[in-house]
Amino acid sequence: MDVFIQTLVAGILIGGIYCLIGIGMSLIMGVMGIINLAHGQLMMVAMYITFVLSAYMHVDPYFSLIVAMPGLFLLGCFLQKYLLNPLMKKESILPENQVLMTVGMGMVLAEICRFIFTSDYKTVKTSYGGQAFFIGNISFNLPMCIAFIFAIVITVVLFWFLAKTDTGRSIRATAQDKEAATLMGVNSTRITIITFGLGSALVASAGSLLIPIFYLFPDIGGPFTLKAFVICILGGLGSTVGAIFGGLTLGIAESLGATYIGMGYKDMVGFLIFVIVLVFLPGGLVGLKRLIKS
Amino acid sequence: MKKVKILIGLVLAVAVIFSLWPSFSMAADTVEVGIVLPLTGPQAKFGEVEKLSFDLALEEINTAGGINGKTLELLIEDDTGRPDVGRSVVEKLITKDKVVMLGGGYSSSVTYAVAGVCQQNAMPFLVNTGSADKITGSGWDWIFRLNPPVSHYADAVKTLLAEKVKPKTVAILYENSLFGTKGAKSFQKICDNAAYKVLLKQGYEHGGIDYKPVLTQIKRLNPDIVYMVSYIMDASLLMKQARELKLTPKMFVGGAAGFTLPEFVDNAGKASDKVISATLWHQVLPFPGAMDYYNKFVAKHKRPTEYHGAEAYAACYVIADILKRAKSYKNTDIKKALSKTDMMTVFGPVKFTTWGKLKNQNIAGTYVVQWLDGKLELVWPTKHATKKFNYPVNWLKVWGY
Amino acid sequence: MTKRNLALVILGIVFLVFPLVVRSDYYQHLLILAFIWVLIGSSWNLLAGYTGQVSFGHAMFFGVGAYTAGIFVTKLGISAWWGMMFGGIVAMLIGLFVGWVCFRLRGPYFALATLAGGEIFRLIATNWESLTEGMVGILIIQTFRSKLPYYYLALLLAFACVYVMHLIMKSKWGYYFVSIREDQDAAESLGINTTLYKNVSLLASSFFTGMAGAFYMNYMAFIDPEVVFSLHYISIMAILVGIVGGVGTIMGPAVGAFVMVGVQETFRSAFFGLAPKWISQGHAMAFGLLVVFAIMFLANGIVGDWSKIKRYVFRIKPSTI
Repeated sequence: MDVFIQTLVAGILIGGIYCLIGIGMSLIMGVMGIINLAHGQLMMVAMYITFVLSAYMHVDPYFSLIVAMPGLFLLGCFLQKYLLNPLMKKESILPENQVLMTVGMGMVLAEICRFIFTSDYKTVKTSYGGQAFFIGNISFNLPMCIAFIFAIVITVVLFWFLAKTDTGRSIRATAQDKEAATLMGVNSTRITIITFGLGSALVASAGSLLIPIFYLFPDIGGPFTLKAFVICILGGLGSTVGAIFGGLTLGIAESLGATYIGMGYKDMVGFLIFVIVLVFLPGGLVGLKRLIKS
Repeated sequence: MKKVKILIGLVLAVAVIFSLWPSFSMAADTVEVGIVLPLTGPQAKFGEVEKLSFDLALEEINTAGGINGKTLELLIEDDTGRPDVGRSVVEKLITKDKVVMLGGGYSSSVTYAVAGVCQQNAMPFLVNTGSADKITGSGWDWIFRLNPPVSHYADAVKTLLAEKVKPKTVAILYENSLFGTKGAKSFQKICDNAAYKVLLKQGYEHGGIDYKPVLTQIKRLNPDIVYMVSYIMDASLLMKQARELKLTPKMFVGGAAGFTLPEFVDNAGKASDKVISATLWHQVLPFPGAMDYYNKFVAKHKRPTEYHGAEAYAACYVIADILKRAKSYKNTDIKKALSKTDMMTVFGPVKFTTWGKLKNQNIAGTYVVQWLDGKLELVWPTKHATKKFNYPVNWLKVWGY
Repeated sequence: MTKRNLALVILGIVFLVFPLVVRSDYYQHLLILAFIWVLIGSSWNLLAGYTGQVSFGHAMFFGVGAYTAGIFVTKLGISAWWGMMFGGIVAMLIGLFVGWVCFRLRGPYFALATLAGGEIFRLIATNWESLTEGMVGILIIQTFRSKLPYYYLALLLAFACVYVMHLIMKSKWGYYFVSIREDQDAAESLGINTTLYKNVSLLASSFFTGMAGAFYMNYMAFIDPEVVFSLHYISIMAILVGIVGGVGTIMGPAVGAFVMVGVQETFRSAFFGLAPKWISQGHAMAFGLLVVFAIMFLANGIVGDWSKIKRYVFRIKPSTI
């Protein structure tokens, strides 16, 4: 029984970080309809920023959120404005051009970081890095618990932003129906830029929160981008609430898979869920909820 | 039409130039040896330590007169940790750069793929790190290996466990690469022969974030020994998370690789203390030049070196020795010189013979090291040990609980 | 004979004669790699560029083809050349299955599903050791020491593939594919059985990619799951080859293949030894920049936007009509 609870705890805690990664991508997907394949690389950039702040200025990773998040927000806005928005006007055979552009962007970001930092594994050492506290027999990794709490706080703030502020509501409107929103006076160009920036900032937070318990290298982005899709699809594209469920579900599924099927198959669990949901549950968990309601 | 003619002319001209190019780079006073190592990619840290060691030895050899007056040149190429790149790179070294022999070989899968190319092209290859048994166990006569095969890595660990720890149960965790899989298999054989029950044997994809699920299972099974075969970062994460879970077997044993690098103690911190690992070399061993090599390396690069570096350093000297003795630089003469090798290096005595099913294999010893106070100390066999094997270990106390 | 056909014939002659003039194994190897990518790129292009189903998992078919050939050696003890014939066929069967699962999805969802598919296959190959030898990989002895037979075989395959693509696109099938790409629902309502034709496209695409994989096994003589099912080095590379060369054109992927292999090797060898060593890691950056540049300015690739290139680079003004 202990094994089960420990597995569950591990899954939920990592799920918190997954949520942050997923929400960012979900927003971008909902508003722009594009899959941001550079999502993991944006997280990587944030992690390098955190690393630099920690190594050279001894800033604690949690404080570096204050720098990493706005920094990635600006980077995201920049990328959307100069690289992605122009594509919307271009004539081309494949509509997936924006997606492919993000592939290129991601590669360039990763290579720039590799050039500056080499492929060496970097870590951020904190005094509380490997600490754990125990409730009964169950171990709780301290940095992950802190990350989980931050994830909750950030998510709550995000929801408040989306629900209560003008910009937030404009974002939701554009996600629901871009043309109608434009007719209502929403500057959709500006909104897409802000949304990409926001999505980047969210994944940046995930990165800064992750680095104390993991490590950093230029190729770290890829697997996380994949996880982000699985989360988005699982939760229901464009749904931020869905992304939360998606993140937690993926975390728990991976953990259970690792314990009961075997560690080698852990990644496969994620992909299988992904394909099954894609095929059988196109609306994701949120769609399922709607189905049940109706 | 004119444009087309110009285009054809250009293409042919370029083709002719390229086909003649190699002949420009041959100088008469150097002997070129190709070295294949992972300079970029996930194994870059190991490749770096080996490259720096090769460079160190090369400088000394050339200052001391080179190969009978000729300068030894090492063409170090990057296999990026991928077997297909390794093969392409080695083909280039063989056909374009026309090296006289090949050295290096870090990752087992890359080394194996590269050895296949060398065997087919009758190119002598002195492997110094790739450890899968297959590499010298495939009946290939052009392949020689300095380091012991992974099936023998845990020989010293075997005797240490039998004499000092006397475990009854074991859990084995390994990265599902060629090296990890083979290392785990060999250790399982050791356990079967010694009647230690293997409670769990699981492979994992490298780069994982969370090992707690499998570590929790291990905790529940409560084995006496936890044996892990990992490269760098996974090793640190495993120990860190074992500490977080308060998983306390009688002993944690690493199967070399990630567990002997300074990065391990850097990243795992307290969780690395008292962990033991199999190793193939330590600077206190009574091989002439061992401690010198260690000190020279530390002085030059401000970081410690370990068995991978020693393998590279020794290999360079073996290569120089072979080339000095070889009647000519033809591959058959180099092969002959290789098989007659009988010398002492910082890595130990080097002589290529048949070891069980393996051909052209150097019979090298293995040892056990333990992390004590942040330093990697040789603790077994006792006749070489500089520190006493710390056992039994109160893990909770060591970990600061 | 039109100017274009003449240029192609001359190019063909150059390729035929190349290995006899340039005797270096190394350059022959580069061309063989390029031919393999012509195969993969053209196949991907048929499905993605012409039929509009952008696959991010073409490594599935490549790896399956490669492993078919490899398993023939390890399990059946017969030559991997038999795998050439069966590699394409097995890949087609896998293609049918993939189509059944994924074709109900559109656009980006299809792309993601194929991406997941590629990864799932990689994980299966890694873990199903009894069938695939897992991470140990499969190593065989090359049948020919010289590269010439491989060169001519690869050239033949590449040529055959491009020609078949040309024939397909000239036929009625070609029109069906493009109509599916432009507007699947409209095509369906016009009476075109979109599911059937998507599968036909997929079958042709997976067949040639599978053949490429089987050839790879025979030529490189070593494969493992990371190499042949690689998302980054096979699936995404196939997409880059298509994009840079020109999606929706016949010669595009072929041009793209040569450009990408050329760029990759130029960087890896540090401009063939002429540039400083650190440049060798720059090839990935070069790819990334090439993609960004291509999508921004040459959305239809080098071949697709050739008129644009002529205008801006060669300053050839379009003739007034």
